[in-house]
Amino acid sequence: MSGELKPTETLDVRGEVCPYPDVMTQKKVKSMKSGEILEVLVDYPLSVERIPESVKKMGHEVLKVEKTGASEWKILIKIK
Amino acid sequence: MIEPAAILSGLIVGILFGFALQRGRFCMNSAFRDVLLLKEYTLLKAVIVALIVSMIGFHAMASLGIIQLNPKPFFWGANIVGGFIFGVGMVLAGGCASGTTYRVGEGMVGSLVALLGYMIAAVITDVGALKVVKDYLQTNTKITITNPGPLVSPKANYPTLANVVGIDPWIVVIVIVIIGVGVLVWKRGGREKTEGSIYEKIFKKGWPWWATGIVIGIIEIIAFPASAATGRNYPLGITGGWSSFLNSLTNGDATKLSWETFLVIGVVIGAGISAGIAGEFKLRAPGPGRLIQQFIGGLLLGIGAVIANGCNIGHVLSGIPQLAISSIIFGFFVIIGCWITAYLLLMRR
Repeated sequence: MSGELKPTETLDVRGEVCPYPDVMTQKKVKSMKSGEILEVLVDYPLSVERIPESVKKMGHEVLKVEKTGASEWKILIKIK
Repeated sequence: MIEPAAILSGLIVGILFGFALQRGRFCMNSAFRDVLLLKEYTLLKAVIVALIVSMIGFHAMASLGIIQLNPKPFFWGANIVGGFIFGVGMVLAGGCASGTTYRVGEGMVGSLVALLGYMIAAVITDVGALKVVKDYLQTNTKITITNPGPLVSPKANYPTLANVVGIDPWIVVIVIVIIGVGVLVWKRGGREKTEGSIYEKIFKKGWPWWATGIVIGIIEIIAFPASAATGRNYPLGITGGWSSFLNSLTNGDATKLSWETFLVIGVVIGAGISAGIAGEFKLRAPGPGRLIQQFIGGLLLGIGAVIANGCNIGHVLSGIPQLAISSIIFGFFVIIGCWITAYLLLMRR
């Protein structure tokens, strides 16, 4: 459990509008096993704020929200 | 011909509005849909705050004689059919009229495609092949009243929550404000504050829902007299702006341009500035299937809004604070259309 956070799966929702980034993330999270890490690539500001909130509500852990470029973010989620 | 002062005033209010829409991520599609889809009330609360602020502001200005309220014509058939089509359209388009407009400023190509569909369909329904449908619904289901009552323009002989029962509009306003505040207290939560310096809070972070609601309410209050001064006695609107824009472009008739045309252009500019400062501007597009879906959604937005004579801004954000029955009916059926489509498209399977 060092700093190495290797995502089990990556979900790329760049270019998508409301509400697809949120809905696709939720679906993906539901399909994954406990302990796995999901990396979400997203470029839609509203979803960057909302995905962590909704994932936390579902009981999972948000490890990191990182801005990776002009209007691009990476969200790391650990499935509980 | 439109005066330069009207162009400037429309642009300035539009830039402010676009900035606030982008910072607040203010989209009624998301607001209504999230209640069903995510049990999330944050954006809906921003809408409620904006409605409360503008409702009080409009009635205060009307009481002081600064403006005369101008509720939209009530044609129940057109308001119901148009509202439903608009509600379906905004889910497919990935945004309502204002949401689609401000996201163009963020560089979202899908929203630009939706906007093109929206403009084209608005002109087709307003003056083109679908005009007959609009005219049929609007003439055959129109209901007027004889006495518009206090604070309302005598020319606007259309029903409001106050004049249908013949009571003082302020009584209705107070009742609605109490109900609205009740909902805000009942559904507590959501992002209430952000971290950082004042500069970061305003220009870099997404605004909390209450701040978004207050700012958009204040912009409505500024918009009403600003627009009325140019001869258009109405606060914010989107659809009329885009249809007049395309209409003047294609037939070269600049007399169609109004304050509202420059307002919508300002919204795109304002959202672009806001997204640029916050590092949220990027040209980006979804896959071809989604682009087609958004285009069809845009067409439905245009058809629905023109049939009903207003969109989520003209009717919901500007009309409900004037207590217009037409706007309330429209808003209700937008939500019905939105929920049915969101359920079929996003919740099943």
